[in-house]
Amino acid sequence: MTTFHLAPDKRASLSEAVALVQDGMTVALGGGLSARLPMAMVRELIRQGRRDLHVIGSAHGIDVDLLVAAGAVKVSEESYVGFEQDFGLAPAFRRAAESGALEVRESTCVSILSQLRAAEMGLPFLPVRGLKGTDIGTLHPEYAMVTCPFTGEELVAVPALSPDAALIHAPLGDHRGNLHLEQPYVMDERFAHASRTVLATVERLAEPGEVAAAGVVIPAHCVSAVVEAPFGAHPSSCYPDYAYDRPHLAGYVAAATEGGEALREYLDRFVFPGEDTCRGRIDADRLRSWAASDRDWQELFR
Amino acid sequence: MSGWSLDEWFVVALARTIRDGEVVFHGFASPCAQVAMHVARRTHAPGCLLIEGATYAVDPDPVFVPPTSNDLALHRDAAYRMRFEEFFDAASRGAVDRMFLSGGQIDGYGNTNVTAIGGMPTPKIKLGGGGGGGNISATIGTLSLWTTRHRSGRTLVPQVDFLTDLGHRTPAGSRAELGYTGRGPQWLVTELGVFDFAPDGHARLRATFPDVSLTDVEAATGFDLRVELDPSLLGPPTDAELAAVRSLDPLGVRRREFGAEELHRRFARDAA
Repeated sequence: MTTFHLAPDKRASLSEAVALVQDGMTVALGGGLSARLPMAMVRELIRQGRRDLHVIGSAHGIDVDLLVAAGAVKVSEESYVGFEQDFGLAPAFRRAAESGALEVRESTCVSILSQLRAAEMGLPFLPVRGLKGTDIGTLHPEYAMVTCPFTGEELVAVPALSPDAALIHAPLGDHRGNLHLEQPYVMDERFAHASRTVLATVERLAEPGEVAAAGVVIPAHCVSAVVEAPFGAHPSSCYPDYAYDRPHLAGYVAAATEGGEALREYLDRFVFPGEDTCRGRIDADRLRSWAASDRDWQELFR
Repeated sequence: MSGWSLDEWFVVALARTIRDGEVVFHGFASPCAQVAMHVARRTHAPGCLLIEGATYAVDPDPVFVPPTSNDLALHRDAAYRMRFEEFFDAASRGAVDRMFLSGGQIDGYGNTNVTAIGGMPTPKIKLGGGGGGGNISATIGTLSLWTTRHRSGRTLVPQVDFLTDLGHRTPAGSRAELGYTGRGPQWLVTELGVFDFAPDGHARLRATFPDVSLTDVEAATGFDLRVELDPSLLGPPTDAELAAVRSLDPLGVRRREFGAEELHRRFARDAA
């Protein structure tokens, strides 16, 4: 937030909340890699036909790749996009970067973190360690060199960054917008404090007392709208509710790699019909079975 | 134990780059390093502080290693999880002793490219990206590099197409000239052998796996190959090390880093 959000009741529908994101905005994506990605909002952005987004984050996966596959992204300023050793390079992201359809201003975790912190503190920039000698600066003409007034040391300065919108998924929240998250929080706290608009989906809306007892990680005054969206992080994980849906991700990566008709079929099955219909296609019991035993948990990854 | 595979030995070789008492970290998409850190902690380096990449959990005992590095299976029982910013602050101020880094390309000075083959802004192959390496490779005490793709001939190159993470010497200058406090790469472990870095910062081959010849290494290495062999630097794994690898990684996630032909390589005590 750049200013606090004081409405007493932030509840909204998914389409109302996501309509606050406009074409061309800078959008911070919460969660990381294969965990707690704001997928319900990502899918709604695609359903609403959003274009030219500038996405910002640390290490991400299907959230960025799916947005790129749907043609919603103009610039990626993530520090990593991929499927790690499980499914490798991000197919749509890679194809768009290689064809020039996507501008990749690859960033680093420390740069983004420092840019958000500068915005939170009301400062124009912060200096960061490293980067000198790397080629990362060639992707960031907005970086500059700064000389420490005390030691004379030359450091890279990164400008403050206030994303237009942050999209965050949480396991639990209340109608005021208080959010409980499980660790790792990744950059979600920083996104919540630095962004102009913060949109949250939660697995379950609960009474404020229950959220307070679980622990408020992102306070209501940082949040603009809250939407109940069960399986809103699927196919990424949202512990303690459900694990990562590995067969689904394998299917997505295959469809996105093939592109064309295969990708269209994925979107027709798992995005365009809407959250209620798509949720019915998830094997919920299987994804919740991680909690039954360590053996069941391991089976989810075979 | 009746023999072991290359992937098991490779992880043990990586584990042995850790010294007891160090604060050690691996990033995402790094299963070999991830397993290696836990093997070290369970064998020769019990006094390490181990920071599990992408969960930032401190000294966790993973239920098992899953194929993604942000999963509760890695940190369920950890007493403490650092915040993202807490880890990067510690790494930036020099409180972390060792980090593991790999790359699609690695040059003779240990600079790595995890951004793009063919360079930017017009990549031939867009790789995933560097995470936080471009900053903290400057400040973390020392680095253990690894690659499982040395044999391809495309990984150890004279010059990286894009410099993502810092080795000992970049086109813009040495670490000292750039004002960096981290000491840079100490080891480079590949599926063919082990390199260290000479006082001028260039890699030198110190040992090869027993089924690898110097000719194999020469054919696969794009940078100037310096050789100063000391086979004791690549001793066979102990039973305790092998047991640790197998119990930590029952799904064999580490094996995903290797080409299929490397996974057939087997070794035994007398042959080693």
